[in-house]
Amino acid sequence: VTNRDPAWAAGVCAGLHAAGSRHVVYVPDNPLSHVLRILRDSYPDVRATIATREEEAFGIAAGLYMGGARPTVMLQSSGLGNSINAIASLLVPYRIPALVIVSMRGDAGEWNAAQAPMGRAVRPICDALGVPATTVEAADAVEAVVATAGRAAFDERTARACLLPRRVTVPDAAGAAATTPAPQVNRA
Amino acid sequence: VTRLDATRILVPLAGSEPIVASLGHPAYDLFAAGDRAANFYTWGSMGLASSIGLGLAMAQPDRRVFVVDGDGSLLMNLGSLATIGWERPANLVLIVWDNESYATTGGQDTATRHGADLAAAARAMGIAGAMTTRTPEELEAAVARAVREPGPWVIVAKVAESAPIAKPSLDYVLIKERFMAAIGCSESGAAGESA
Repeated sequence: VTNRDPAWAAGVCAGLHAAGSRHVVYVPDNPLSHVLRILRDSYPDVRATIATREEEAFGIAAGLYMGGARPTVMLQSSGLGNSINAIASLLVPYRIPALVIVSMRGDAGEWNAAQAPMGRAVRPICDALGVPATTVEAADAVEAVVATAGRAAFDERTARACLLPRRVTVPDAAGAAATTPAPQVNRA
Repeated sequence: VTRLDATRILVPLAGSEPIVASLGHPAYDLFAAGDRAANFYTWGSMGLASSIGLGLAMAQPDRRVFVVDGDGSLLMNLGSLATIGWERPANLVLIVWDNESYATTGGQDTATRHGADLAAAARAMGIAGAMTTRTPEELEAAVARAVREPGPWVIVAKVAESAPIAKPSLDYVLIKERFMAAIGCSESGAAGESA
C-alpha cells in the first residue's frame, strides 16, 4: 500500500481479506481501479477474475462458492441493473452468498445524468431482492463495514452489498473531471 | 439423437464428477437420465450455467466439471466463452445441447438454426478444444476424450428435441447442499476458505 492508494480502496482490500475472501470477480470502473491495483500489488493470495458482464460475474461467484470459496463481486452501480436476475433467481433462492462491493454513480458529485436513474434504483433494488445493503459513510469506515458485511454474508448465506458513494471514492470530483476533455456536440 | 439419449451417454462418462445443468429441458433430462448428488440443477438465471461451471472449475482444479447448457442459454451469455477462453480451465467440459430452438418455451428458432456456429464462436474466443458432434458415436468419443485430456472443452452436440419425462426438486437449498456435500465442500465444514 503506497501513498497514492486512497484509504477507502485499501479498506476494501483489507475488509474483504479479513472476511476470508480470496476470489474477486469484477467488472471494473474508475474508482475500483484503485482496489484492483492494491490487490495486485499487496494481496498475492487474492485472485481477481474479470467478467464481461456483471450477471456473468455473479454466475462465476456462485460456482466459486459451491466449490468452497468465499467470493467477492465488485461492480459499478450501473452493473447492478445487469445482475438482477442472477441475484434473484440464483443467489437468493439457493442461498448462495457473496460479498458485493458497489462503486456508486449517480449520487452526489455525479456529472453524467445518464448514471442518475440507475444510481437512484440501487437501494430499492437491493431492498426488493432482500439483499442487505450498507452505505459506507467515510473512507476510514470502509474496512470495518466491508469485513463485517462479508462475515455476515458467509455466516448467513446471503448476498450482502456495501455501497461506496462518490463522496468517498471521488472526494475531489471536480478535479477528476478536469483531467478529461469536456463533452461537446457538433450541430453542423 | 435426442437430448435425453445424449444425456444418457454423458452421465456414465462423468463418473462421480459434478454436472451443472442449465434451467429447463437440459436440467429435466439430466434428472431423468440419472439423478445424483453431484448434479446441480438451476431453475432460473438463464445463461449462467457455463459461468457457474467456470467458477466451480476455478475453485476445484482437481475435479472435472461438466456443464450441460442449451443453445439458447449460451447465446444469452456469449461473453462467457471469452472469459473461459481467457481463464482456460483445463478441467472444464462445457456441453451444449443444440436443438436449434428455445424448446423449453415452445420451440421458437434460435440463431443456430440460421447459421450461428457456437463451436466456431468458442474457437474464436481462444478455446481450441471446441467441436460439433452430430451422432451418438461422435458425442461419446468427444466426451471420452474430454474426460482424459486437458481442456477446456466445448462440445456442441446437435440433438433432437424430446419431451421431458421428469423434473428435479424445487427445493433449491437442498439441491445446493446435496451438491456441495457430494463434491466435498459441505457448507457446515466450509468455515475456512479452502480454495
